[in-house]
Amino acid sequence: MKLELLFSGIGGQGVMRLGEILCDAAIKAGYLVTFSPFYGQEKRGGRTMCNIVISDEMESPIISEAQVMLIFDERSLTEYEHLLDPAGTLILNSSMIEKEPTAPCAQIDKVPFYDLAQKIGNTKTANMIALGYVLKYLPAIDYGVVEEEVKKTFAAKAKLIPLNVEALHTGYTYRA
Amino acid sequence: MGERVFMQGNEAMAESAIRAGCKLFFGYPITPSSEVPEYYAKVMRERPEENIMFIQGETETSVFNMIAGAVAAGHRAMTATSGPGFSLGQEAMSYMSAASLPAVIVEVMRPGPADGEILAAQGDYFQATRGGGHGDYNNLVLAPYSVQELCELMQESFDLAEKYHNPVVLLSDAMLAKLRESVELPGYVENEPKPEEKWRTLTGADGRDPHIITTCGRGAIQWERFNLDLQEKFRKIAENEVRYETYNLEDADIVLVAFGCFSRVCISAMKMAREEGMKVGMIRPISLWPFPEEAFRGLDGKKFLVCELNAGQMVQDVKLSVDNKNDVTFYGRLGGQVPTPKEILGEIRKLR
Amino acid sequence: MRAVKTIYQRPVVFTDEITTYCGGCGHGIINKIIAELIDEMELRDKGVICWPIGCSCLSDLYYKMDQIMCLHGRAPAVATGMKRANPKEFVLVYQGDGDMVSEGMAEIMHAAIRSEKFSIIFVNNAIYGMTGGQMAPTTLLGQHASTAPYGRRIDSSGYPVQMAELMATMPGVIYSERVAVNSPQRILQAKKAIKKAFQLQLEGKGLSFVEVLSMCPTGWSTAPVKALDWVDQKMIPIYPLGVKKDVSEGETVQNEEQELEVRSL
Repeated sequence: MKLELLFSGIGGQGVMRLGEILCDAAIKAGYLVTFSPFYGQEKRGGRTMCNIVISDEMESPIISEAQVMLIFDERSLTEYEHLLDPAGTLILNSSMIEKEPTAPCAQIDKVPFYDLAQKIGNTKTANMIALGYVLKYLPAIDYGVVEEEVKKTFAAKAKLIPLNVEALHTGYTYRA
Repeated sequence: MGERVFMQGNEAMAESAIRAGCKLFFGYPITPSSEVPEYYAKVMRERPEENIMFIQGETETSVFNMIAGAVAAGHRAMTATSGPGFSLGQEAMSYMSAASLPAVIVEVMRPGPADGEILAAQGDYFQATRGGGHGDYNNLVLAPYSVQELCELMQESFDLAEKYHNPVVLLSDAMLAKLRESVELPGYVENEPKPEEKWRTLTGADGRDPHIITTCGRGAIQWERFNLDLQEKFRKIAENEVRYETYNLEDADIVLVAFGCFSRVCISAMKMAREEGMKVGMIRPISLWPFPEEAFRGLDGKKFLVCELNAGQMVQDVKLSVDNKNDVTFYGRLGGQVPTPKEILGEIRKLR
Repeated sequence: MRAVKTIYQRPVVFTDEITTYCGGCGHGIINKIIAELIDEMELRDKGVICWPIGCSCLSDLYYKMDQIMCLHGRAPAVATGMKRANPKEFVLVYQGDGDMVSEGMAEIMHAAIRSEKFSIIFVNNAIYGMTGGQMAPTTLLGQHASTAPYGRRIDSSGYPVQMAELMATMPGVIYSERVAVNSPQRILQAKKAIKKAFQLQLEGKGLSFVEVLSMCPTGWSTAPVKALDWVDQKMIPIYPLGVKKDVSEGETVQNEEQELEVRSL
């Protein structure tokens, strides 16, 4: 198996964090996993993008075509949509993106991550909702394992655990 | 071996160095190597039992000379830097090679020239493999392709530096430095022989003859002899420390050549090409100096595609190693652009 | 039988080599002071001397102890690595004016900033000796040098650098004194100052610094005897002798350190 993913957004949106949690879960599932982050030179508000490769063998940490691409803002869409696998899935944060993608793509899901986050009471959980949603396209990764990783991530701030687990579940069960 | 973790290249490498007994770190922050001094600074305060001494020097020029002092005093010491800082360190690289000081330097390459960018690149290949400073000397240069290999070579670098009394350059890049992957951290190195058994340390001439380290020539006769001794050291390294990996060479018509983390892009491209029915193999040099010339022997008639993140540096060593240099094609990207496996596949198709 | 008492001998740490300094040069005198103190204070077995580039870069031939010749200006950095690795080692840095004040200004300043716990002997002869009498940052205004054939001028070369005073302004420096070696009395005073610098290092206090005004008759194109007078007449007015700083009796520098809780502000 070889899965290539690309997640991108603006610094502070938690895109990298959700990528790392996903990687931890994929490792638990026994795969080789690489996480390649790319940052702008800005310290705040710059673009943050990551390539994730989940595979059985040693592979390139740089992806050719994303089978699943998660995009949080319009500039990321413009910059990276050419890396989409035509047979892949594009997940757009419709709370912030009005533009239509131009690259060919089998499946486009528009999910209002920030509106959903607002509904459960904290916009900071938008990335966990997105993580939950992405999992629908990654059957190799067990939902329960990811939930455990989310709990671990917030272990130092235990009171945030229920909120983030709820966010994960909200994303996982959302129908675009 | 130690525990399996999901860790960033720079940090996993720093931890491996600590476990190899490198307690002294002299650093100057520069992207993309800064996590290494940061890691050492943190461990110095949070794990006092490790006895770490981290100094943030005023310049890389200074830092490299601090390493010279620390290894001369019989301790393992290192730094991690990137191109502009490595340039500043060159006078000390020349010095430490001549003075036979076992320093270990991590060079995390980024695109130059000058200030450049902070992304992945391999443009410091010449600087690392040709000595980089003044005079006739060589560094032993190792280029790992995964976080796992980075950690293992990090530990081995100290042994090699001490075996040959020469600086070792561990050549990483922005891609490998920031890459997170699952790695089995090497364990603590134990039962190492004492430094004074391995090289002439400066610890006070208590009960022994004085040790004097000087690189100051005393006339042409003496200085030629000194240089010939140095060349003998480099000859031994060249004889013993060639490292490389080959993939699918047996039936290959086209042989990719790539080093470092970027070679993994080529490995994926090779697999894609094989799925299309093309007979593609690969050579991955691990020691860049000494360059694995022997890997290219007996491959007459094959086409070579050398892929680098620079304007064509290692390709010169490949041309010196193959039977017919007209068989060698180069594909390079600059400025921090890293081609995808699919793009490399496109270059392979052109050779079909 | 009458008891025989040694009242003078060649320092034991010296080899049998004859120094190759020019006639009238001050380096030989300073080298000898160091050798005598190494004997007297029993530093040979735990000491390392870090030599610079310059006339003294052949000095490792003269001592039977561990020594390292450092690159131009970098001796304080090498000594930092060495002392941080083995804090109990006695580390002596010896530098000339071209080495320290030009090429190595960053290294000396930052060794002082970090309060490195070694001793530095700084030999100031207001000229580049080894390379043939070129201008140094310490060359006096109007003084002739091969790269200032009509004398040093402010408009192109600025002002002579007063290192002992400069070091005295640094909190990390515990002791800074300027001495000279152009008369027997001054040589005795120089030895006293250098001994104090060594002593302070052994006590683990901060950086100890001794600037020694020294003669370079060859570089100054003058006779050795006249060079002795030149130190008095020309150098000392610009580089006054004396203790510039001595906080060795007080708290050590480290104890004054305060951990600022900037994060909590």
